[in-house]
Amino acid sequence: MTIRTGLMATACVALLAPAALAQSDEPLRLGAFVPVTGAGALGEGSLAAVELAVEEINAGGGILGRSLDLTVADYQTDPAIGVGEANRLIHQVGIDMAVGPTYSQVTLATLPLLSGAQVPSINVSGAASITPDVAPFSFSMLANAETQAQAMVNNAIDVFEAQSFAILSDNGAQAKTAVAEIQRIVEEMGLEVTGVQEYNYSARDLTPQLLALQRGEPDALLLFSSTGDDTANVLLGREQLNWDVPISGSAGASLAAPALEAGGPALYDNVVALANAGFSYCEADGRPERAVAFIEAMQAAHPDSADRYPMSFIASFYDAVYVLKAALEGTDGDLSGPAVAAWIEENAGSFEGVNNGLAASAESHFLIGPSTLRPVLPATQDEYGIQQRAGC
Amino acid sequence: MTIVELVLILVRGLGQGAIFALIAMSLNVIASASSILNFAVGALMVLAGVGAYMILPSDPTLFGWIMAGLLIALGMGVFGFLQGGLTLIPLKSSVEQHSWLITTMAVSIIIGAGIHLFGGSLAFRVPSPIPPVTIYSTTTPTAYLLLIVLAVAVYLCLKWFHSRTYIGLAMSAVAQDLDASKAAGINVRRVQLASFSLAGVVLGLTGHIGAPVINISADTGIGYLLSGFTAAVVGGMGNNLGALVGGAMVGVLSMFAAYQFGGIYQDSVTMGLLILVLMIRPEGIFGLAAARKV
Repeated sequence: MTIRTGLMATACVALLAPAALAQSDEPLRLGAFVPVTGAGALGEGSLAAVELAVEEINAGGGILGRSLDLTVADYQTDPAIGVGEANRLIHQVGIDMAVGPTYSQVTLATLPLLSGAQVPSINVSGAASITPDVAPFSFSMLANAETQAQAMVNNAIDVFEAQSFAILSDNGAQAKTAVAEIQRIVEEMGLEVTGVQEYNYSARDLTPQLLALQRGEPDALLLFSSTGDDTANVLLGREQLNWDVPISGSAGASLAAPALEAGGPALYDNVVALANAGFSYCEADGRPERAVAFIEAMQAAHPDSADRYPMSFIASFYDAVYVLKAALEGTDGDLSGPAVAAWIEENAGSFEGVNNGLAASAESHFLIGPSTLRPVLPATQDEYGIQQRAGC
Repeated sequence: MTIVELVLILVRGLGQGAIFALIAMSLNVIASASSILNFAVGALMVLAGVGAYMILPSDPTLFGWIMAGLLIALGMGVFGFLQGGLTLIPLKSSVEQHSWLITTMAVSIIIGAGIHLFGGSLAFRVPSPIPPVTIYSTTTPTAYLLLIVLAVAVYLCLKWFHSRTYIGLAMSAVAQDLDASKAAGINVRRVQLASFSLAGVVLGLTGHIGAPVINISADTGIGYLLSGFTAAVVGGMGNNLGALVGGAMVGVLSMFAAYQFGGIYQDSVTMGLLILVLMIRPEGIFGLAAARKV
């Protein structure tokens, strides 16, 4: 074989391989890393959202004619279990792509395996350490901790005119990153942090933390919580201490259902939190249609349990599947991590899902940037779980 | 620390500690009659909280709340009896075999999974018919005060039960010498089942009364078990006065550590207490040093 013949053969293979893949009848294998059991409260709804997206895509003819075959990895919020599940999905199931995990500790543990196998994935984690260097083929549907930290400080200053801040957070990896970032931002602005406290996930009584922070007499409390239950516990504690400190919260603080059930809208007096633009609105503009359609589809699919799901959060899982679909169609069926990652970096802005305005680059794979976040009034949550923006 | 802060931390710490004390007493009741540590006690208490969530309306009356409490206590007593049967059936003698390690832990896991299947991962919020009490312009859930009263009442009742009733005396006898008790004609298996049932009643009352301040969700039972176990060991395993004091110590110290040093140190300070007590008094504060067999 001459060199020319060899080169031609290689070129032919390179050109035909994606087309051959596209024409394959084999189902595409999607892995879903969701904590269906174990601590936390996000797995059940997240899985339901992924299942909905898969059902819709398969009903619409699949991706390039190939159906999606879903395999669930229940990592139970445990990094060790997550690694075991990642090995199972990669080596036994042979997944082509993945969505999740959510918990940063688990994401950080599993991404090296996915990257090593060149499996493209979209997680829903916010730890800033998840960079393209660490995980070149993975993107996040969550605003990273640094983005949220900046927005929380800005909201506290803009909405409450705060000049001094207390910080309260859970003890997750993302929260620790956010707290460090908040401290850095506030120091750079020449403002004051009066106290920092943290709590364990699901800690019921946060009185000691709140009492300690109250001593510093801050203008505002910056609350980085990851779950609606934790947010409810903080707000109940604030109410019981009769402490009227304004709160600027993270995206987790806008998961309002538990707090509204525990204490009603009054618990959210003087609270703003972060929500994706696609899940917030101003009265004059009307409710976001895509979010409403997603929620109605979830309610139809899960009439008994949909009211428990944090819709704005699980919509990220739903969108994640569609982003991968768009990327595979954009690469004409090239499943390799580098091809999918390159396409998403180039074309994330054109994606139209429940969440729009996504952005990615070679430097950052966090698809939800500052321009996609809005300050919302969580107590204004309507029957769809959509909240009004602050300052409309 | 101001006097207001001190009072709030004490009241809430004692309230939390009462939960741990009641779990510790439940552990003691069963352990003294069977040498079994029931690792499902945390999950059983949470299960009682789920029962309160299911039975109580969103705005319960005091009468309805009391009736629900009795029903839950009764139901948990029956559940405890059944769990005891499940645990004890494979054992010829609980001190010679250790299958109870697996069966009690399995029950805990199954309860957690059942709660998850029933209600998902979100915590259940249970209302209280009794308004919160005001302390220095702040409010404290009445459940904390009721739990303190319950812990003391259960301690006194168990003391009376173990010294004044036939079945209680039989439990004490079994605790002291299993073989001698059998020789004396005591139906040991029946006594042990009664201890499981009694612990179930205590946990049922704890879960019901404490429901407004307990984290009732699928995965929280193990945390309560660990805190209750810590209280039992600190106070002296098998000693209910020790459980009462140990629970209060763990509860107050945990709250104080979070306030003074930060929430990050809450668990490590509590575990530090456990290690410290065990180094100074391996048998616990009120525990009796075991006689060495020679």
